[in-house]
Amino acid sequence: MANPSPILRQLGCFRSLMKPQSLQHAQISRRSITTAYTPKSQPLDFPSKMPKTFLSQIPTHLQPHSRKKLKVYPPPASATTTCKDAVGAVNQSQLETLDPTGERKALFDYRRNPRSVKVGDIVRVTFKNGDPFAGVCLSIRLRGHDTSFLLRNQLSRVGVEMWVKALSPNVESVEIVQRTAHRKRRARLYYMRQPRHDMGTVENIVTNYLRQKQGLRGIKGRGGRGQRR
Amino acid sequence: MPPRILGNLPQLPCLPKGSLFTIIRANVPTRSFGIRSLNPPKASRFNVGADLPVLKSTPTAALERKSRTLPLRTGTIVIKKGMTGLFDPETGKRVPCTVLQLDRVEVVSHKTRQIHGYNAVQLGSGWKHPSNMTKSLLGHFSASGVSPKRHVYEFRVKDEAGLLPVGQMINADWFQTGQYVDARSHAKGKGFAGVMKRHGFGGQDRSHGVSLKHRSMGSSGPGQGGGSRVYPGKKMAGNMGNQQNTVQNLKILKVDSENGIIVVQGAVSGPKGCQVRIQDAIKKPWPEVAPAELPAETPAEPTA
Repeated sequence: MANPSPILRQLGCFRSLMKPQSLQHAQISRRSITTAYTPKSQPLDFPSKMPKTFLSQIPTHLQPHSRKKLKVYPPPASATTTCKDAVGAVNQSQLETLDPTGERKALFDYRRNPRSVKVGDIVRVTFKNGDPFAGVCLSIRLRGHDTSFLLRNQLSRVGVEMWVKALSPNVESVEIVQRTAHRKRRARLYYMRQPRHDMGTVENIVTNYLRQKQGLRGIKGRGGRGQRR
Repeated sequence: MPPRILGNLPQLPCLPKGSLFTIIRANVPTRSFGIRSLNPPKASRFNVGADLPVLKSTPTAALERKSRTLPLRTGTIVIKKGMTGLFDPETGKRVPCTVLQLDRVEVVSHKTRQIHGYNAVQLGSGWKHPSNMTKSLLGHFSASGVSPKRHVYEFRVKDEAGLLPVGQMINADWFQTGQYVDARSHAKGKGFAGVMKRHGFGGQDRSHGVSLKHRSMGSSGPGQGGGSRVYPGKKMAGNMGNQQNTVQNLKILKVDSENGIIVVQGAVSGPKGCQVRIQDAIKKPWPEVAPAELPAETPAEPTA
């Protein structure tokens, strides 16, 4: 580190004056603090008749013909919006075909119809194929087209129960043989299965009813006190 | 042209200009695209001839084997809505049935023998908002001219005669009352289930010294004589359900094309609201379909 002479150091400020004029100008212009707007340079056009192989190597967003906007088609009308409850629709159509008048449904609608079958009644059912069955109605299940009821009887001292579908096409007629003496305070009379409460056979009541009906039919030609539907 | 041109420098000026240019260009390597095998397949010197039998491991032979069990026409996508009971009009018996509903089922595209190796109809059902869909899938639907679909499934068909035109909507009357279908869907997931539930194992004794092992499997295999290992495929505890299950030969009891409802006899796997694919049963004679429904000249002929 050689120290320059003190005289030379003082003269050092004139060094810039000794530089060529052109260089000085360039420096000033470079240090200018004004900023001029320069538009963003546009990408140059691709040469016409460019081979396809070259074109495919260019990124898609830089390709001359950008991709077309996709056309999205509207959805068609849906059956699931017009028919939201498909199972209900099937059930409803069943109900309409099996019970067009709504008579059979009303016969078991014990909540709304006061003249309907009620638990404790003795009911006789005849079938299209098979023997008729009579018994005490123990319970009624209201399930629309699946409505069913449970009958209990004793055949040769053996308790017999039978669930009958109220709207089944096999059920020809349902008639009330004898109404219960007073309203039962249970919806399901399963206690009647106990020996203490068992009603026993209803054979006698039904034969009496049938004989009476036969006699009435002989005189009047019309049905007895039971409702035949 | 002379190959040793560079060695003959004194001759250079008298060469025509064009020939020099071509030499230089020939040395520039041309760019090639794609993957090229170093050992391209060569034509076999053997087994060449017209009356040779079709090899068993070829796609042609595979299609020939499947031709008896591939349906002639496509099936459809349906939603399982629930179960109910119907009274059979003939016997008067009540039969359990499943209610299925179609939701905007349209043909999206085809798979063809020439391009994909097999014939199939790609169907879509439902609707999905375009903003929730990838652009590639959106382009697929856009090219077919159908709305964006939520569910897309393929249905294999025997030949080109079963390929419905793209964009055609399939309604419930595609199936007839009384015909049989196969229904495939995902069964309800049961989670991680033990061997008693999953495979019906008997479990172990309640007592007689059994402790904490009442529902577990017994031995998982033989000892030294059997190799002292657990054989592959041993039934053990694991994930149960949530797998595709096919229920075959379901009779169609009712068709309501207005509401898009199809009612089949019996149960279909899966929870309510799941997607079910139904197609003509492969173990029954093909249904008699009017030739107008099939776009081909050859009507559907029943085969066993």
